[in-house]
Amino acid sequence: MKPSQRISSVIGLLLVLGSLPCHALEIGEPVELTADQTKFFETKIRPVLIRECYGCHSSQSGQAKGGLKLDTRHATLVGGDSGAAIVPGDLDSSLFFGAITHTDFVMPPKRRLSDEQIADFRRWILDGAPDPRITKPVEQPNGTIDEGSIREAKETFWAYQPPHSHQPPPPSSREPSSNWASTEIDRFIEAKLHEKDLSPAADADAASVLRRLCFDLAGLPPSPEQLDWFASAYEADAQAAVDRVIDSLLKSPRFGEHWGRHWLDVVRYAESTGREVNMTYPNAWRYRDYVIDSFNDDKPFDQFVQEQIAGDLLPVGNDTQWSNNLIATGFLAMGTKNINEQSAQQFAADLADEQIDATTRVFLGTSIACARCHDHKFDPIRQQDYYALAGIFRSTATFFGNPPSQYGTFGGPQQRRNSSSILLPVSDEQSIGRSYSKSELEALHDDIQSTLQQLSDLRRGGASNSNRPNVSNQQIRLRLQNELGSLSAKLSVVDAEGNPRSFCMGVQEAKQVGDTSFLVRGEIDQPAGRIQRDLPLALKHHDFTIPNDSSGRLELARWIGSDQNTLAARVMTNRIWAHVFGQGLVSSTEDFGMTGAAPSHPELLDTLAVQFVDSGWSVKSMIRMMARSRAYRMASTFDQASHQADPNNQLLWRSNVKRLPAESIRDTMLKIANQIDMKRPLGSKVAESGYQRVRSEQLGDPRENLRKAFENAVAQGRQQGFSPGASPQAGANRRPGGFARGPANAGRGMRGNQLRGGTNSQQFRDLVAKATQDASLDSPSDNHRSVYLPVVRDLVPRSLEVFDFADPSMIVGSRETSNTANQALFMMNNPLTLRLSDSFANRLQDEAETTGQRVDLAFRLAYGRRPSETERKASLRFLSQSELTPKQSLSAFCQGLFAAAEFRYLR
Amino acid sequence: MLTRRDLLKHTSAGFGYLAMAGMSASQQSIGTEVESSKSPLSPKQPHFAARAKRVIFLCMQGGPSHVDTFDYKPQLLRDHGKQGKYGGALLKSPWQFRQRGESGLWISDLFSEVARHADDMCLIRSMHCDQPVHPAAMTQMHTGTAQFVRPSLGSWTLYGLGTENASLPGFVSLSPPAGSSRNFSSAFLPAIYGGTKVGRIGGRANQFARFGPGQTPSVPDIKNPRLTDQQQRRQLNFIQQLNRSQMPAEESRNVDGVIQSYELAFRMQNAMPELMDLSQEDEKTLAMYGATGGETETFGKQCLLARRFAEAGVRFIEISHGNWDQHTRLTDDHQARATACDRPIAGLLQDLKQRGMLEDTLVIWGGEFGRTPSAQNGDGRNHNNKGYTLWMAGGGVKGGYSYGSTDEHGFESVENPCHVHDWHATVLHLLGLDHTQLTYRYAGRDFRLTDVYGNVVRDIIA
Repeated sequence: MKPSQRISSVIGLLLVLGSLPCHALEIGEPVELTADQTKFFETKIRPVLIRECYGCHSSQSGQAKGGLKLDTRHATLVGGDSGAAIVPGDLDSSLFFGAITHTDFVMPPKRRLSDEQIADFRRWILDGAPDPRITKPVEQPNGTIDEGSIREAKETFWAYQPPHSHQPPPPSSREPSSNWASTEIDRFIEAKLHEKDLSPAADADAASVLRRLCFDLAGLPPSPEQLDWFASAYEADAQAAVDRVIDSLLKSPRFGEHWGRHWLDVVRYAESTGREVNMTYPNAWRYRDYVIDSFNDDKPFDQFVQEQIAGDLLPVGNDTQWSNNLIATGFLAMGTKNINEQSAQQFAADLADEQIDATTRVFLGTSIACARCHDHKFDPIRQQDYYALAGIFRSTATFFGNPPSQYGTFGGPQQRRNSSSILLPVSDEQSIGRSYSKSELEALHDDIQSTLQQLSDLRRGGASNSNRPNVSNQQIRLRLQNELGSLSAKLSVVDAEGNPRSFCMGVQEAKQVGDTSFLVRGEIDQPAGRIQRDLPLALKHHDFTIPNDSSGRLELARWIGSDQNTLAARVMTNRIWAHVFGQGLVSSTEDFGMTGAAPSHPELLDTLAVQFVDSGWSVKSMIRMMARSRAYRMASTFDQASHQADPNNQLLWRSNVKRLPAESIRDTMLKIANQIDMKRPLGSKVAESGYQRVRSEQLGDPRENLRKAFENAVAQGRQQGFSPGASPQAGANRRPGGFARGPANAGRGMRGNQLRGGTNSQQFRDLVAKATQDASLDSPSDNHRSVYLPVVRDLVPRSLEVFDFADPSMIVGSRETSNTANQALFMMNNPLTLRLSDSFANRLQDEAETTGQRVDLAFRLAYGRRPSETERKASLRFLSQSELTPKQSLSAFCQGLFAAAEFRYLR
Repeated sequence: MLTRRDLLKHTSAGFGYLAMAGMSASQQSIGTEVESSKSPLSPKQPHFAARAKRVIFLCMQGGPSHVDTFDYKPQLLRDHGKQGKYGGALLKSPWQFRQRGESGLWISDLFSEVARHADDMCLIRSMHCDQPVHPAAMTQMHTGTAQFVRPSLGSWTLYGLGTENASLPGFVSLSPPAGSSRNFSSAFLPAIYGGTKVGRIGGRANQFARFGPGQTPSVPDIKNPRLTDQQQRRQLNFIQQLNRSQMPAEESRNVDGVIQSYELAFRMQNAMPELMDLSQEDEKTLAMYGATGGETETFGKQCLLARRFAEAGVRFIEISHGNWDQHTRLTDDHQARATACDRPIAGLLQDLKQRGMLEDTLVIWGGEFGRTPSAQNGDGRNHNNKGYTLWMAGGGVKGGYSYGSTDEHGFESVENPCHVHDWHATVLHLLGLDHTQLTYRYAGRDFRLTDVYGNVVRDIIA
């Protein structure tokens, strides 16, 4: 398919909504009014506007209902959420006129203007709406950064120089006998150490090295069998043993799940908008899977970058690839959003800002969004550089919502900024989300139509059919609108047969593309001339041209995902280094600017960056290169003298002790308790629940969740005798790879009491408990790897949140590691910890005979080593306590192993 | 000297260290530099002498009407029914205003009990903010901006001052509304400075409550459902034994942090429920707060809890009360909201005073904005962010004092306008912190609560 064909068919696939971020308008040419026009305006128009409209639509009143202000010519022409208020000379297109004549809007809300006043407005609009209320044209402020200082920075600042490969320093002359260095990396490291009179720590023992490799590459611990094998292989030939483990880990699908999660931290991956009105992103999971697959496939990183910024515009060979590329652009769509922002203009500006911030910090380690309001304080980034990029993103349409149904889209005052989603060219093999039977579909249509009818009755002033006193029409309207919204959201994502269709979130070219305005202090009503779309001058080393009919996003993507800039390869190389070695060569992983840290080993960083590009941007090659170094194998042993010389271990005189990421802590608990479900779930809990506002930890209707749990219990009961909720293994028996989900034709509107009829009260309580657990975003009963848990902003599962999970509203390249009381409480009391302690104890009972053997096995599983004599004694003493049953003590002992420090630290 | 930022960089971010830091903090005198280098939460010296040691923030969600509570507008009464400045008919307050106390501050009958403390209250009658809608204004009130995710006032306070009780979190948000976590989050500050949710919230605690008696713990995972205290202590001893055996002697930083976190958690298991157990409070105290029943019970208990947390050394305590958003039914609903909190707040002020705590506890009352002097839907008022009232008491502010004013009807601040940024600067100042110096480097920039704005309102400082 030719690119042009492809693009037009993308647009054909789109369901585009009215309230998409529209292009910044600029209406500011001063017009001279005749004396008559002035008089007419001042006597007939302005007074009415002030009296009737300014209360809700002016800067003075601080109100902009519907995003509309009417107190300047500019604001009136730009209009509000629904479009231009006044189109000079065109009554039909002037929403203002429609409103005062009560055609579509009803304004002023309480009373109609007099016929005479309406006639005045008609005359005024037809006359071209001459309006003297022109705010003085704003001038661009003088910047603080001139081209000279940019040129100087480009010539001198390390990160703006193209990286060059360096020869590793020759082996130290001081210690010619040293044969420590085994790879190029080691020679760079050793040279720096020797400069400071430091030497590398001795090699770590086999078990530590294997644990490191397994956790760093795949996020999971080695098995006792692997430990045994490695111990002898490592002794025989350390390098060969390490190489073999690296190869096998890099081939494992577990690799992508672990490294994909690192990437998801950086790109603020989440399945909801966050902020006050937290709407779900039911298709965000596709991006999650795309990232995991990309790392597993070792997709060239330059291509990976380009797909995320402009996948929709890249040429493709087939529809599968096209789907994949569309999903990749979810990167630009999944930031936090203020969905109840009143002003469409403000929303569009904030959206572009978020995209600029993510794009530049994630890929270039440069914070350009700093320059939204004024020139960057430290880096040579001017405010005009920001608006040059903003033009590219303002020429982009972002899809983060739900498609409209045949009845339209229904927002309401809490949900003003609606958006659609992108229909994928290739449908899912196995559908995801709720299906509807024919009768259910009919019922949905009926419900929508009757709600619409009620709304229209209400609008026509008909008495509401509610008998409740004290409920205003506005409240009823709100309720009806919300109902419509949720009904329509259900209908819009299924086809005519009621089967879910496949959508993704992402971006497309906007209908109109072009440059955007410089905004003084970043304020949307202070435009000061358009800025030509371009790259930031300080980062630009070659010509950059954007075709007239294009946003420039494709060109930007091709520039970022390449070695045409000096940063992308360095930034990613450094990210990889940071994850392998525990801290970056540049410790500020998102800030390669003047205020960021300087690289500890600049020549090494540059050499690796060049090799990264030369390897075809292969992430796996870089990881292999680093993990097979001798430096990686060093022990983490403390040394007082070295510590004094280099307290932060920047020169790498030993291995850094790493705190395991939250995911690894939970996954390891699941794994050694024999509970982990390694299959990738289909979709996610959020996808199952569909488009909705998140109001609590439970998504969706509790009754619906109970119905699902009931059906699952019945389905299971058929297989194994009905006992809903009683089996702790229930999770493992669910539909392969899926979340609890009812069959497509399940009875609609089933109520709790109907369910109760079929079970006794204890069973019912268990069922309720199970339904609560299954539907909870906290997911205590979920056994999938942590990367597949739902990531709803502000409601991250506690098991991850307490262990410093990356805040999904922020760009996080290096997580914090804290030791908090909440972590302790989690390990002491959380239901997940208790459940897995029981399972771990069961496993010990199954796999070892005597208490002594069980203790041995437990240590091997939890810490990859045998207990010391003291530990063995302490364990046996603990297990012999009388107040608890042997089973209870064993479980409490297992919990103790989870809880102790060694479980969460990697030496 | 080490700066706060250095401390964070060079020490393990260990809540656990509090155990030890806390012990010495109670005998606090010298050597705080050494102690403070141990934990990012241990008490820190303010920039200059503090007037307030802690904050109780009574957050009034929904926008309580200033012209019906603390901003007396006789002209509004006279012009009732006339067209207001921005259209709409002016609506006089349904409530009577009276002069209160020695100072003669005008306060309406909506807050007749609080009004008894007029001589301790400092009214800022010229507040204004940039946001006319609830969530955004609420976020600005807490973080200074609605546009970006930023740390809240409480987090900045904790970051600046640390905390004084090693068994409790330093920033507590009591029963916050669902979806408001941005308002007590640490954002880019280390997580340790975030607010700890305590009590029921819309989200975590009470799902499926209608299906049965669910145990609703006050703090997640605060109680073990299986083991007795003694059994758990025994398990903990085993865990600590493992921790010590795993600890390399020379370098115990990480393991130390873990060890201390378990000790703190174990203490919290007792301290938190005990602190939240009001059964030991005598009848008189409960009655003072209106916590014995009726419409004041819920908020009364929260105010009492706030006092207990303050007494226990928690640095920043926030409690919320809503919903003040009366576009309609102003007369009935504003009355109901006020009744539910009038006595509890008065009780809190009285209790703090009689315990000698009011002088170094800053009590703040305010909503995200006020309401228009003009009517909406007959008996209702719209949002008004251009002018509204917030008051503070104790903690070094002038009592019986009114600062700034709105225009004759109460539409906008005209005299000594006080923006949210100015108010933030002032609160930090009372806590002994210079808002221009309290910074944190993030994404290559030094951030502060007040961004590049904010002037301390010196006139209100006693």
